[in-house]
Amino acid sequence: MPNTPVIFALWSHLLERLVAVSNSIYEVCNRLAGRSELFDNLIALALDNTLVKAALLGGCFIAVWHGHQERSVVERNRRILVITLMASALVIATTKTLSTSIFLPRPFIESQTVFHMDGNRLVETPPLPYRVPLDAQSQKEYQRLQKGEVSQRDLGSFPSDHAGFYMTLAVGILLASRPLGWLALGWTSVVVLGSRIVTGQHSPLDIVAGSVIGIAILLALQLVFEKWFRPLMEPAIAWTFRHQAIATMLVFTAVFEAANTLQDLSPLIKITTAIAEHFLGGQR
Amino acid sequence: MTRPANRTMFLPLVALLALVLWLNGCVLDQKGMVLMIDTSYHPTMLDSTHNGFTQPDGLLWRQGKLLLADEGGSAVRVWSDAHHVRTLCDSKLGILEPEDLVADGEGNVFFTDDAAGGLWEIDRNGRSFQLAGKDKGLISTEGIVLAPSGDILVGDGEQHQVYRVSRSGNVSVFLGTRYGINKAESMVFDDRGNLYIADNHDQVVYLLTPQMKLQRVLENRTGFSPETIWYADHTLYITDSKNGKLSRYTPENGLQNIAVFGGKLSYVCGITTDDHSNIYVSIQSSFDPKIGYLIKLEHTPAS
Repeated sequence: MPNTPVIFALWSHLLERLVAVSNSIYEVCNRLAGRSELFDNLIALALDNTLVKAALLGGCFIAVWHGHQERSVVERNRRILVITLMASALVIATTKTLSTSIFLPRPFIESQTVFHMDGNRLVETPPLPYRVPLDAQSQKEYQRLQKGEVSQRDLGSFPSDHAGFYMTLAVGILLASRPLGWLALGWTSVVVLGSRIVTGQHSPLDIVAGSVIGIAILLALQLVFEKWFRPLMEPAIAWTFRHQAIATMLVFTAVFEAANTLQDLSPLIKITTAIAEHFLGGQR
Repeated sequence: MTRPANRTMFLPLVALLALVLWLNGCVLDQKGMVLMIDTSYHPTMLDSTHNGFTQPDGLLWRQGKLLLADEGGSAVRVWSDAHHVRTLCDSKLGILEPEDLVADGEGNVFFTDDAAGGLWEIDRNGRSFQLAGKDKGLISTEGIVLAPSGDILVGDGEQHQVYRVSRSGNVSVFLGTRYGINKAESMVFDDRGNLYIADNHDQVVYLLTPQMKLQRVLENRTGFSPETIWYADHTLYITDSKNGKLSRYTPENGLQNIAVFGGKLSYVCGITTDDHSNIYVSIQSSFDPKIGYLIKLEHTPAS
């Protein structure tokens, strides 16, 4: 039986190399920032602007949902897309759980004077180089960082939930339709995820890990549902044909929120819970 | 015919991927960090749980040693170095979760306990006892400070009041509910006789002048929850366990962060300073099992 600590040590060594490669790629990408206001503002759009970030993906999704003449093909596509939406929820749960349990700050935080725990010691981490993008939001955030105003969500960057989420959607679209899928995948890789490396939000390793999680969960669910749950899926898909308008509305809502990485869902759940508690509390 | 075989292979591959990700997580996890905003300080981990204490909260630097209100370990201890931790009193006395402590010039130590309530004393001869208990209204005692008069002021989180306790154990109300202090988690006097009070329920730092005028000096700040306050070198030091921050406040410069603590080090609790302006903080890390740390921020002023 192989010695587990030896495997662990070998893996650690391999991963250290991988981290070094990832950091080198990050440094090359980040060198693009902080040179042109136009470029940095365009990159900032891909970070924060939902229209730039998600509209194309959402559009591709809806197009694939409706876009074919043959009913059998549309049925197949809808099956894939419904599973993709389910997978995206599972992916976000997985990446959020991992990023809260694995403590790894974002690269722009690692550019500061940081000491990390090494057993019972605090060891200064060699700072990563960081060029601050010139757009107003990045400048403001960097000033806040230098004052120590750090959000706890900036301390768990591995794996990237954006990578997991958007890759799931893009690969889901790709499984259903090649041309639109490649468009979605290209946009996701270059615009959505590339901008996160350039601006120091994520290292390439975070992005790769998030993407791998997303693709793996998506493919596993596609396999499981195709193999074991197809009889359950078929009536649901048939329902979407009988109620095209309602189905489209539901899919639009789901894709809209999915493309926004479920960020709006949490406050909605909180306020619903608060209202429920208020009324239940009142009844007691 | 190859397709089913590929599909059968897929699930073990996903399992392998999960293992790889878990291994990656183990290796990449930095566990905890200190981000230094004021780089004139250098952080060092002094000690951790396995060396004779559990989860310290209140800290007090005294004659080259650290007095610890070991909240997780139900004890008050003296830390000399990583190999010398002495217990002054523990749960046998009836204490549950010692919160904060002070010492007078004669070597008597007083401490609060938010679970057992009351005000407790360890006198200079090492005798420990309850000076005033729940029967006198001290239900859940939090902040503690030695008043210039020699009395001890104690904040109570459940009664929402600050009490004055005499050396003989007489209890009277110092700041009643009409002052609106919800939870006097920590208190300290400055060098002008003003009393600073940290309320980590309402996220406010109050200042009470010697004329008994109460002002709100820090309030309505995003990401601010004062846990423990300490005054030294004309500066109010503040720990924030909710947001993992160590800050300083002066009326001239306002609130400035010194360091941000993250991961296993984010729950920063107690604070004290020594004669060389070095800062000591206690960290409560995991609650099951109970793990705590002592961190020193060594001050190296720029030449």
